[in-house]
Amino acid sequence: MDYSFFEKKAQQLREEMFEVTVKAKTGHLTSSLSCTDILTALFYGGILRYDPKAPDWEGRDYFILSKAQASPILYEVLADTGYFPKEDLNGFAQAGGKMGVHLQSSVPGSEILAGSLACGFGIAAGLALALKKNRENNMVFALLGDGECYEGAVWETAAFAAHNRLHNLVSIVDRNYICATHFIEDELSLEPIEDKWRAFGFEVKRVDGHSFPELFAALANVRSRRSTKPLVIIADTVKGKGIPMISDQPLWHGITVTDESDIAQARKELYNK
Amino acid sequence: MQKKTTMRDTFWNRVYELAKEDRDVIIVSADMGAPALDKFRSDLPGQYVNAGIAEQNALLIATGLALKGKKVYAYAIAPFITMRCFEQIRLYPAGMNLPITVVGVGAGVCYEESGPTHHAVEDISILRILPHMTIYSASDNQMTHSFADITYRQKSPNYVRLDRIVLPNIYPDGTDFSEGLGILRPVAEKTIIATGSMINTALQVSDTLREKGISVGVIDAYSIPIQIEKFRKATKNASVLYTLEEHTLPGGLGSQVCELVMDYNLPLKVRRSGFDFSQGYCYTYGGRMEIHRQYDLDVESLVSKIEAE
Repeated sequence: MDYSFFEKKAQQLREEMFEVTVKAKTGHLTSSLSCTDILTALFYGGILRYDPKAPDWEGRDYFILSKAQASPILYEVLADTGYFPKEDLNGFAQAGGKMGVHLQSSVPGSEILAGSLACGFGIAAGLALALKKNRENNMVFALLGDGECYEGAVWETAAFAAHNRLHNLVSIVDRNYICATHFIEDELSLEPIEDKWRAFGFEVKRVDGHSFPELFAALANVRSRRSTKPLVIIADTVKGKGIPMISDQPLWHGITVTDESDIAQARKELYNK
Repeated sequence: MQKKTTMRDTFWNRVYELAKEDRDVIIVSADMGAPALDKFRSDLPGQYVNAGIAEQNALLIATGLALKGKKVYAYAIAPFITMRCFEQIRLYPAGMNLPITVVGVGAGVCYEESGPTHHAVEDISILRILPHMTIYSASDNQMTHSFADITYRQKSPNYVRLDRIVLPNIYPDGTDFSEGLGILRPVAEKTIIATGSMINTALQVSDTLREKGISVGVIDAYSIPIQIEKFRKATKNASVLYTLEEHTLPGGLGSQVCELVMDYNLPLKVRRSGFDFSQGYCYTYGGRMEIHRQYDLDVESLVSKIEAE
């Protein structure tokens, strides 16, 4: 299989999203870059069922961005796929704009208000439960951050999802190894993260979150799994992927590049990839 | 007339009847039961979800269900289902304006022997400030029964605040509870406005003072926030309002009354009665009345207070 389309699409999304945050002088750039390839696979790889012209289509899959600080990349994807005009991104986090740094449910395709961690994941489980009760075969995809897994409520939901055999719930943990202030494993370790999810009753897969072959392999047949366990994919990623000067560095959480020289350097690194 | 049933059984019995006719009615319990729920669980197992002792997740599951069109009741002991998951209530039922009804048993200090962990004494303060939220504070079973219907029809979030014990019946069959305020003794110059079980205290105070020749009105504020037009109309003949709540003073019923009086420049004096926890929570045991006496919420203290003015 040729993955060049996805490589190019992810690159385009990164570039456009980068410019949106630079213009706005805000937005969680590095958190968005770490999950760009994951969103590309879901939205452009035929995994998610959705209709940008009918955001409320009953037959859609639900994509729940639980790590809602990555809203810049979701908004970019929603605009790129046609949920709303790309011009709307120019108003990101600015006066008169329709969307801010965290997720706003009024934005078509965003599904929920989010920004307080662990909430989206629980809502995803509630949606999956409702779909099961209704005997509807839509799927629910939730994207969590690894730092988000510090929240106790994540594990309340994990226990619930496994007990209720929410096999229609696919969770992806964007494992970029950095939370707001430091490297996760140094500060307060989450490993062995696979064992934790497995112990809670999940089917666990671990992939390179920047490898389309691995992402698609993990997402293949998610609608026809034999297991009744919910699936979690731990996707190892690099926070800030695509711009080496801000990659894998804790102090680049929650911001974008704002100094002229930084912007020039970041552009050089991103565009001349 | 509802017979000697607890409020929670009254409420869940009515929700059961509604749920039998509407499969979209779902209860999400955070490991909280009720005899009436046993029937619900056995007859309608697909409409009952136990989230375990995990109130935050209970509210999030409720949210996911509501986003798929379910009419969800999230249920536990009042302080836990309002405060442990306050952020989830704030963001989802309130923030996204979803038809989720939070049901808390244990209004005020009715878990009298359990201490501050189980006292629901800040729930009105924190929930009445949220967008779209309506608090239904039950004072008798007729009302509680009606709250099931009201919340079932509501398209926005609600909090139903129920007492743990069997309270006397106050309202006749067929009472319309859409007004938000009930006039239980004609509004007079001095009038008590109370909520929940304290209505019974207010009625006793009014009756005691009537024997002494003093007319005291009683208003039941069972729906909070109180709507200004209804408040204005109800208090037209009053000049001193005595607010009475089994709840902390900051932010509660009395606070809302003060806000209305100030914001709308109403010619009313307000005297508040409730808990002052500024020096610490209440660890008094020996019954609810013992607690009321400590905080001057007993009939005798209130009679003296109103008589003295």
